[in-house]
Amino acid sequence: MIAQSIITGLLLGGIYAAYSAGFSLIFGVMGVVNIAHGELVMLGAFTSYWLYTLGHIDPFLSIPFSAVSLFILGYMIQRFIINRVVDAPPIMSYICTFGIHLIIANLALRFWTADYRSITTPYCGSNLECAGMVLPYARLATFGMAILMIGGLYFLLTKTDIGRAIQATAQDREMARLMGVKANHVYAITFGLGAAITGVSGSLVSTYFVIYPQMGLSYTVTAFCVVVLGGMGYIPGALLGGLILGVLESLTATFWDAGMSSALTFFVLFLMLIFRPAGIMGKGVVE
Amino acid sequence: MMQGQKSIFSLPGKSVFLVAGILLILAIFPAFHLSGYTLRLMSMIFMWIALASCWNVMSGYTGYIDFGPVVYFGIGAYSTALLMSRGGMPFFLSIVISGVVAVLFAIPVGLPTLRLRGAYFAIATFAFAEAMKQVALEWDRVVGVHFLEGSHGITLPIGPSHQFFYYTFLVIMTVLFLTSYLIERSRMGYALKAIHEAEDAAELSGVNTLKIKVSAYAISAFFTGIIGGVDAYWLTYITPNDVFSIHITIQMVIMCLLGGMGTLLGPVVGASFLTLVSEPLWAKFPYDYLIIIGVIIVVVIVAMPRGIVGTLMERKRRGGGT
Repeated sequence: MIAQSIITGLLLGGIYAAYSAGFSLIFGVMGVVNIAHGELVMLGAFTSYWLYTLGHIDPFLSIPFSAVSLFILGYMIQRFIINRVVDAPPIMSYICTFGIHLIIANLALRFWTADYRSITTPYCGSNLECAGMVLPYARLATFGMAILMIGGLYFLLTKTDIGRAIQATAQDREMARLMGVKANHVYAITFGLGAAITGVSGSLVSTYFVIYPQMGLSYTVTAFCVVVLGGMGYIPGALLGGLILGVLESLTATFWDAGMSSALTFFVLFLMLIFRPAGIMGKGVVE
Repeated sequence: MMQGQKSIFSLPGKSVFLVAGILLILAIFPAFHLSGYTLRLMSMIFMWIALASCWNVMSGYTGYIDFGPVVYFGIGAYSTALLMSRGGMPFFLSIVISGVVAVLFAIPVGLPTLRLRGAYFAIATFAFAEAMKQVALEWDRVVGVHFLEGSHGITLPIGPSHQFFYYTFLVIMTVLFLTSYLIERSRMGYALKAIHEAEDAAELSGVNTLKIKVSAYAISAFFTGIIGGVDAYWLTYITPNDVFSIHITIQMVIMCLLGGMGTLLGPVVGASFLTLVSEPLWAKFPYDYLIIIGVIIVVVIVAMPRGIVGTLMERKRRGGGT
């Protein structure tokens, strides 16, 4: 039972990691705590939902659509709104992204109603049974995708030109500007990238979670938690943080009480911030 | 204290009369047989001015963004509800005890969290507030008692008339305005602003920054707790989702930002503005209300990053300079 609970937790943790990586990226590069983060997950999930419902496209195949549309949205949000407050005190960006959260969540509520929806694929009930444990295929595939995505992001940031430009801007914006990097453009690309991987995670979420327009805030909160565990701004930390949180929640639900698992999440977050704000590995950005 | 008292009188003469005059008019207002709706709206404005001022005392002056002040509102609301409905205590005693209970939570929470800076403090306070909401929701079920009643909520004795709450909130708002004024003029106020400008330099100059921050946090929690208690009695029925709602936090923050953080009048202007704007919007466009509020927030933040009072002061200063 412990093994099954841990495996379930790890699979859950993979998806946590996937949608938290973008949050970490955006914070690490721009210092923006994006309160509208969960809405990006929601939009990704609804993209897949509508493509499945109206076009009968499998949610795993609709991933490129989520990625591209969320990239464009993220780019625009940064370019036209957040870039204007990026030099103001950080509170401005929190409140600004909170405003964006209100707009997106309530527009979605207006157009798509508050109904709970889910995607029922032909394979969603089938499991891989191995060594006495049950592993749903959809969750395994999502887990794999999540790992791939974080690996891809890490590769992009360390090995490509745009990735290096992003890192340079994060380290020293003025110096990067002197070297010919357009900071505003790099910021917009960063937000776009963060939004794209978050949107893809939304598509993955839609394969086995219930989705509804107001789901965003709870995803934002989980992302806070994951990113603090792993170290804010440190991308591989998101993976570690996600897995730890997933296992922790799963074990709490199995051995104590499912209702307490979110209270526990917040206390872990609170204690981490007090005792180890740079994350478990100590590699996060600390002010 | 003496120093603070003196500084009241050092207010430019006109402003004292202006403030006193406005308060006097507000005090005799209900005599004009206003409708229940108007009284309720005014009471709500007073409540939000008071709440925004609570946030301003701590976060406005120091720049430490408290993203979980609602936790003290909720603790105050629950304390008052329990004291009145279970203990049969009188209202005024209950709200004062609620304020003290909030402080008893605030000090042990403030001591570790106020060592954190920037986004970390904001996220820690936010996490604490959400954790307490979950505790309030799940306590009874997990512990196996009937105490907080979880999501069923608690019913309080039926409260008195609208006028009663009008005056209660008017008094609380006035006390908070004076408190903010006294703090702003006192050594503590200068210390808080110094923390905002350069915390390490303030520490080096002999300011016990942690003590000052925790004091401001506790004062803010005390009043937030009292207001939570009054609001619980006004609502007569509370649930964790209502009184620990993140939307209360956000409103407090946004009102200060709109008005101008770290200014005496900021919370007054911001809270009046947002309540007066959102009330008719809510009545006319119940479905699009939050979308419009979101747009207003984004536009104001982008166009007036220093808030209404801050932008006006800036303009005045620039105008005077040329």
